[in-house]
Amino acid sequence: MKPFEYKAVHSIEEACSALAEYGSDAHILAGGTDLLIELRKQNIRTPKVVVDISFIKELRGIESINGTINLKPLATHTQLLQSSILHQYASLLSSAASVIGSPQIRNRGTIGGNIMNAATCADTVPPLIALGAKITLKLKSGSRQLDLSDLFIKPYQTKAKPEELLTEISFLKLSPNAKSSFIKLGRRNALAISRLSVAAILFFNEKGIITEARIVPGAALPIWRRVTEAEQIMIGEIPSTELFKTAGQKVSEVMISHTGRRWSTEYKEPVIATLVRRALEQCV
Amino acid sequence: MNNQSISTTINGRKFTFDVYPNQTLLHFLREELGLTGTKCGCEIGECGACTVLLNGEAVNSCLVIVPQIDRKEILTVEGLAKDGKLHPLQESFMNHDAVHCGFCTPGMLMSAKALLDKNPDPEEKEIRTAISGNLCRCTGYIQIIEAVRDVANKA
Repeated sequence: MKPFEYKAVHSIEEACSALAEYGSDAHILAGGTDLLIELRKQNIRTPKVVVDISFIKELRGIESINGTINLKPLATHTQLLQSSILHQYASLLSSAASVIGSPQIRNRGTIGGNIMNAATCADTVPPLIALGAKITLKLKSGSRQLDLSDLFIKPYQTKAKPEELLTEISFLKLSPNAKSSFIKLGRRNALAISRLSVAAILFFNEKGIITEARIVPGAALPIWRRVTEAEQIMIGEIPSTELFKTAGQKVSEVMISHTGRRWSTEYKEPVIATLVRRALEQCV
Repeated sequence: MNNQSISTTINGRKFTFDVYPNQTLLHFLREELGLTGTKCGCEIGECGACTVLLNGEAVNSCLVIVPQIDRKEILTVEGLAKDGKLHPLQESFMNHDAVHCGFCTPGMLMSAKALLDKNPDPEEKEIRTAISGNLCRCTGYIQIIEAVRDVANKA
């Protein structure tokens, strides 16, 4: 590993000051499951300063305040999958956390790192976008809140400035008339990188009619977004396999309209449609 | 590059070290402390051979840099046996022929210990999940699962 300066910070304030001082020379260390691999590569530019935020207590935990859930960025994937609040009010997020990496990775990897690393295969991002999550980015002076779906520019690149620290991820609890699911397709069960994934939420009225739908595919589009073109097909309808198949085909069409036809399309086209259908079926 | 002074507990003993930040916990254990029971496999968090317990949780020591263990407790495979007596998991691995080439064994033992410390009576599915981050190239998984289950049954 190439040499770098190391700075452990113990409060949000201290972290923001360090980031303000070092700017783009700094890289934040949280769980380290991505950064350590980058640091070891000889061909990549090693950050001059590693700012270790893993000791900051204020950045840990999962809070439930009235109808809102606030996730702190150092919440690990293990904490997400074991959280009874998430099981009850955002089960698709705990499902996604449960299929990341391995127990060892889930014990270290954090939700904040999963978001800010912005890998196309990040498993917690599609559920969070489906949940309508907002994030708070803090500077030494001031902070701003933005929709998570507006954060990303392209894979591995976000709109966050080097001086900004992610301090909170928040979203509304799902109401009891909503059901959600997350499906991941990897090459094997453990330690697999998502080839494709789907996060889905369906809201029903008392007659069982779909009143709102949210579908966010993972690793399918250049940046994550809800596929409203497919969601709209289902509003006002009664759940059926045919309906879910149609929605799946629509997601597939939208994916191809973004990515064009490439070597993997022959595979991804039917597979994303099937994953969407399965994810929607799990919401019934 | 700046040295860091850290205090840590390793296998029940307290230490203070001056460390370089650009060293993984794995290499620190093996090269600085001579604790070579923890194995160096893929070094990208995929094989689990380097698994140790950090504050009771299984982690890949190849994905932790040394200053991160400041004020934390580390348990390696060398810390399992007490007073010259093997840990029940170690005995059970021997009894079930769960050690083939042995390279994955320290990591498997630590993942199994993390599981049993939290859940003394796991179902087979939970054992399989607990060791899902540990690869065994000899593919002796069944004996390993049986060895872990046997310790759980006897507890």
